[in-house]
Amino acid sequence: MEHIRNFCIIAHIDHGKSTIADRLLERTGTLTEREMKFNQVLDDMELEQERGITIKLHAIQMKYKAKDNKNYTLNLIDTPGHVDFSYEVSRSLAACEGAILVVDASQGVEAQTISNLYLAIDAGLEIIPVVNKIDLPSAMVEQVKHQIMDLIGCKEEDIILTSAKMKIGVDEILEAVVKRISPPAGNPDAPLKALIFDSIFDGYRGSVVYIRVFQGTLKEKDRIKFFATDKLFDAEEVGILEMQRMRTKELSAGDVGYLIPGAKELHDTKVGDTITNADNPAEGPLPGYKEAKPMVFAGLYPVNADNFAELRDSLEKLRMNDASLIFEPESSVALGFGFRAGFLGLLHMEIVQERLEREYEQELITTVPNVEYRVLKRDTEIVLVDNPAFMPSLGDIEHVEEPFIKAQIITPTEYIGNIMKLCTDRRGVYKNTTYLDPTRADLRYELPLSEIIFDFYDKLKSTSRGYASLDYEFLEYRESDLVKLDILLNGESVDALSTIVHRDKAFEWGKKLCAKLRKLIPRQMFEVVIQAAIGSKVIARDTISAMRKNVIAKCYGGDITRKRKLLEKQKEGKRRMKQVGRVEIPQEAFLAVLSMKE
Amino acid sequence: MYLDALKNEIEMYADYGIKEEVETIYFGGGTPSLLKSQSIVDILHDLKKTFSIRADAEITIEVNPGTVKEEKLRSYREAGINRISIGVQSFDDGDLKFLTRIHSVEQAIQTIQIARSCGFENLSLDMIYALPSQSLVTWQKNLDRAISFNPEHISAYGLTIEDETPLGRLVKQNEIIPVQLDNEAAMYELTMECLQKRGYEHYEVSNFSKPGFKSKHNCNYWNHSNYLGLGPSAHSFWGNKRWWNHANIAIYCKMLQSDSFPIAGSEVLGNEQLLEEAIMLGLRMGEIDFRRVELRFGGDYYKETEPILQNLVSSRLITLENHVLKLTDKGFLLCDEIAKRLIAKVTP
Repeated sequence: MEHIRNFCIIAHIDHGKSTIADRLLERTGTLTEREMKFNQVLDDMELEQERGITIKLHAIQMKYKAKDNKNYTLNLIDTPGHVDFSYEVSRSLAACEGAILVVDASQGVEAQTISNLYLAIDAGLEIIPVVNKIDLPSAMVEQVKHQIMDLIGCKEEDIILTSAKMKIGVDEILEAVVKRISPPAGNPDAPLKALIFDSIFDGYRGSVVYIRVFQGTLKEKDRIKFFATDKLFDAEEVGILEMQRMRTKELSAGDVGYLIPGAKELHDTKVGDTITNADNPAEGPLPGYKEAKPMVFAGLYPVNADNFAELRDSLEKLRMNDASLIFEPESSVALGFGFRAGFLGLLHMEIVQERLEREYEQELITTVPNVEYRVLKRDTEIVLVDNPAFMPSLGDIEHVEEPFIKAQIITPTEYIGNIMKLCTDRRGVYKNTTYLDPTRADLRYELPLSEIIFDFYDKLKSTSRGYASLDYEFLEYRESDLVKLDILLNGESVDALSTIVHRDKAFEWGKKLCAKLRKLIPRQMFEVVIQAAIGSKVIARDTISAMRKNVIAKCYGGDITRKRKLLEKQKEGKRRMKQVGRVEIPQEAFLAVLSMKE
Repeated sequence: MYLDALKNEIEMYADYGIKEEVETIYFGGGTPSLLKSQSIVDILHDLKKTFSIRADAEITIEVNPGTVKEEKLRSYREAGINRISIGVQSFDDGDLKFLTRIHSVEQAIQTIQIARSCGFENLSLDMIYALPSQSLVTWQKNLDRAISFNPEHISAYGLTIEDETPLGRLVKQNEIIPVQLDNEAAMYELTMECLQKRGYEHYEVSNFSKPGFKSKHNCNYWNHSNYLGLGPSAHSFWGNKRWWNHANIAIYCKMLQSDSFPIAGSEVLGNEQLLEEAIMLGLRMGEIDFRRVELRFGGDYYKETEPILQNLVSSRLITLENHVLKLTDKGFLLCDEIAKRLIAKVTP
């Protein structure tokens, strides 16, 4: 145990976390340069490659002979780099004794640098600060060093300067890991306590959990118990994580590895849960377990109504390896039968959507995402509303509460004005500003989650020329003056287009939405009146004039086949249209809200 | 050489022992009136040898003004041709120039008059609207002029600009500004209103006739009757099969030289496709009798489409009586749009 080090790398997106990980793997001979098919080996999911971010957690064991001539076992535990997954990050950190904090020398400290750092400090980890990309012409090494020193109160000589690309500073990192991070503690003979910091789904073996043993020893064939789910399993296979799973049959206090418990679904093996021995149980679980809670909801509907069952199967399969995804069937007048799904955040939603489309070949209509509202009714009943269509009617509502988040925005000082304006527009409550150095500020706001799930991040980036960064966490539910805005087409309400908005914004929102829909809904054989209404009060109106002419002039013997084929093709387009009353609505219209420019 | 090939194509059908009486013959597509009149006489002669042709068959030839003199038309008449379709297009020389027609208004008028004097009692004029320089007023004048010759039949086509044509390229380069769709619609409405008022029956999207003078030949296309198309690119339909000849005249001739049918492609229509066409073509003729469609194809199409039909009735696009759909003038304007919906409903 003396010679084990468990650590992770934390960084803001694109600050070079994966490249540093690659260098460590290469330097320790865990894999050779040639074995690296891509330069970012830990990001092995197609989607992650494209987005340049790490979504799924992994861990890998390295052997390292240090300058003291002793052989060390280094377990590198990867962490996801997006705000949607902060709970998962915290569980990965809990499995470590130390963290390498990577900051890009040309970018400086960013929002996720700070939020991840705080999580690491909360977890009591030893922090090894690293300034990366020092070879870049735009590197501001001294300035960034000072930001870091101010942030964690370390000494200048504690900071390691690296260029993972140029392979500078890799040995220094490895030596620091061995020297500065303490070895794990824990009695291998005590009752078993092992933390699940990640899990994946294997089509043949079921759930595969990645664990850190804090005390006791886990052996194959042990009868084991999961605290949170209170389920019992047999340890089918136990081992360590090298480039592949390496069976060792046993893991003891301090070790990081995997366990295959023979669980059919990921839901039985939740991240953050504690495993113990059923025959000799620990008195209680490790602290910090939380049920992953969806924050963003949206309707998922098959484009073709006949594919409902297929979509359900796909969602069920997806849920097997995405424990954070929840869904239940719902129906809509406009869209037919589908599902209301809950996601950790917008990115998570996009990932699910893309996986359904790419891996499961589902054609989807996704409705506009929304948060979950808490509605106190006049009869004192409290209802949770995750679909605007099911908002109780105005007269029954005492008040509505919506989730607020604590937002942290790091920005160069020249953009403070723009950002404050953006936050005010989004109903933000200003808290305070601190300066990381004379050129960089840390702004704190409290914002309604609903205001940031649309295009807040894009707006933040464009208003700061890409320099501002954002991190947020759930704060609380707060009462707001919210109303349900309905869209009516020729007098009939389109449930899938209902949104919940702040009363002060309803008028402008309604006007824009009507104008947008006028562009997205094609001319019909009759005039279409688009209205936005709160309750029975119409607040905006637009019209689509009737189509005047659609008929080809000639259709003689030689034209008939071509004309028939054209109609056959067009009838497919017709089938993809959704209908409310007599009005046919194309799929894009259901995402009109998302594409509205301010 | 082409005429030899055509002769051969006709004769090849002799071996197939087609018993049906021929009701109509149509010389069209391109400008058949460019041929020497003797050639037309010869072709008709060959047809009579191979097929049995009804004494009262409708025999039409398309004629472009400027390609015929009195002599030619007289010989057509003597050979048994009894209907002439004249490609007038417009009574405005500017329009004719725009359409790159070789004839003048003067020649068009002459052609009409000669046709009458040669004894043709079934005359059709082809007219075109929605030309870029045309207004509602000038189109109205054009129509009045056409009507003044009292033709038995008028075909009025809206100008269609296809992308890959000289005209399409000019539009793309902004050299020509096409007529606004709303104006085109107004011109079509004007056409229907004007011709119906003057005693012409609107029996197909672009076709109007005095009572008893519908083009029997064209109606056969639209009623799924059997027809044989001879010559390059010609389409034939028999039973549930459609086939078409090579468009390339060299290939067409070469294949016939070696006694093979010059067929470029074919399709066998399933029930579903026949139904789709029946609906599409029925609508183009302004009427669908659902009892007849149901008899022919055996389904509850009226019931299945009734919600759509009722919507169309309330939008005044059709009328419905005893399971018979009839397009209103407004309905003709949206014929293809209606076809799309009905077809999406009746076929899976």
